[in-house]
Amino acid sequence: MIAAAVAGLALGASYALLATGFTVVFGVLRRIDLAYGASIMLGLYAAIWLHREGMAGAPALAPVVIAVTVLAAAYVERLCFAPHADRPPVTAMAASFAIWMQLQEIAVLALPLHTYPFPSPFAGAWPAGALGGIRPEHVLALVAAAAIGLGLARLLGHTRFGLAVRATTENRAAAACAGIDTRRVAIAVFGLAAAIGGVAGYLIACIDGQVAPHFAMRATLDGIAAAILGGLGSIPGAIAGGLLLGLVEAAARSAWGPQQADLARYGLLLAVLAAAPGGLAGIAGAARRRLAARRRASGRRVGEASAAGEA
Amino acid sequence: MTGAPILAVEGLVAGRGRADVLRSVSLSAEAGAVTCLIGPNGAGKTTLMMAIAGLIRPRRGRIRFDGREIAGRPAHRLVAEGLALVPQDRLLFAGLTVRENLAAGALSRDAGPAIETDIARMGQRFPRLAERAGQRAGSLSGGEQQMLAIARALMARPRFLLLDEPSLGLAPLVAREVLDLIAGIAGEGIGVLVVEQNAARVRSIARRMHVIDRGRIVHSGAPDGAAADAAVDRAFFGAAVAPAGPAPAGEAAP
Repeated sequence: MIAAAVAGLALGASYALLATGFTVVFGVLRRIDLAYGASIMLGLYAAIWLHREGMAGAPALAPVVIAVTVLAAAYVERLCFAPHADRPPVTAMAASFAIWMQLQEIAVLALPLHTYPFPSPFAGAWPAGALGGIRPEHVLALVAAAAIGLGLARLLGHTRFGLAVRATTENRAAAACAGIDTRRVAIAVFGLAAAIGGVAGYLIACIDGQVAPHFAMRATLDGIAAAILGGLGSIPGAIAGGLLLGLVEAAARSAWGPQQADLARYGLLLAVLAAAPGGLAGIAGAARRRLAARRRASGRRVGEASAAGEA
Repeated sequence: MTGAPILAVEGLVAGRGRADVLRSVSLSAEAGAVTCLIGPNGAGKTTLMMAIAGLIRPRRGRIRFDGREIAGRPAHRLVAEGLALVPQDRLLFAGLTVRENLAAGALSRDAGPAIETDIARMGQRFPRLAERAGQRAGSLSGGEQQMLAIARALMARPRFLLLDEPSLGLAPLVAREVLDLIAGIAGEGIGVLVVEQNAARVRSIARRMHVIDRGRIVHSGAPDGAAADAAVDRAFFGAAVAPAGPAPAGEAAP
């Protein structure tokens, strides 16, 4: 039971990271990078290729995945996002779809088999059945995601770069007026999202123990679904959306089997969006506004009462 | 007329989309004084401000700031060089706090304790902003938002400030307060070019006035006197208005 919950949370944590990548890019660029999953897939395939050629051991694969994902994202940014910055968002999105196909083809041409095993860094180091069946890969995913979440909160909340990112997310024209180089912010955020995506891809591959060509599709869909569930553009929303999606998927899988897990996930997404188009962040925002309005109203009443008392 | 112009625009042609909104605009503004730019709706005031501030690329013409050619340079670099714009719709970071808005205004210059000092100084200058330091900028009143927009621009330590209709949508008393504030800023040696549709009020604090109509400067000179009045009337009401007519001298106030 506990092991199943940990598994669900770990899955959710990986979705949360993917969703965070989509959401920070959307916040600054107002665009969705459809090649996100494919960039991560290229990182994973590069790591597997190096491992098979004997050039990288299992522990060295994480930095390889992250580095290649960031490189692939730089390619995507230069080709799809920088040239179409002043055009309607759909242009960059369509361009990124084309690059998705290209990156996926490159990976499949290099490694044409149906699936490839992905070596876990814990192989043999963790006795099976220890800790009530909790898998070390799941623990790693939870710890890594929590560390990234905290690090991101610190970066965005307490640094000059973070302030520039939040200002640009709020209003790009206003940021330019305030002297912020919004193009540089956009490039940095794109790279940051890619690094987070690389970590997410590594964690997912470790959990699955294998990588297949449909990874790009899965990572993109999972990430977008979690980001939209949370409310596109909101990082707390992305984290909550990812965790919720992972838990629901794990619960549905153990209750009804893997076929119904997807059904449950997308059912949840549909239900939340039907009730609140702004996702979880929209629900939280509305609650906060109601609370502030109530506080203002009661403050006014107190003010009136004291004014009346003075009179 | 005292001092050489710190900002000089010559033969500027600019627009958004295919049409030219500005058709050869030339004007100048001094340091340490308020210069006002007056004109009716659609005359090209905002386009001119955005072109000077680097938010749109001029098609032709020259913009010299402090002796250097700046036409076509991006906005963020001009802010770092001391030319800041307070845009018409204020463009605050509505979801960030007042304090964060001020800190963001200083992102163009080097980090350091000077920024804390400047935020404290803004708090003294705008006590109402200091009281609301932790509030979201979007929750401020119109007047407070305009104060914050100006304070955020001042955080970049500009030598020249472009203000696009700072009194737009404000109650007359608050608008007066904002204009007094602008006069005070110029008194500290910062050059100010302020756009207003409401001619009468801003002319009282300006040392020099330019009147713009349909993409051209149609009058430049002192903000008061018969020639200035006639130029403003012509721009707003066309040449057909009789000089002695009961024209409500540019009072387009809500």
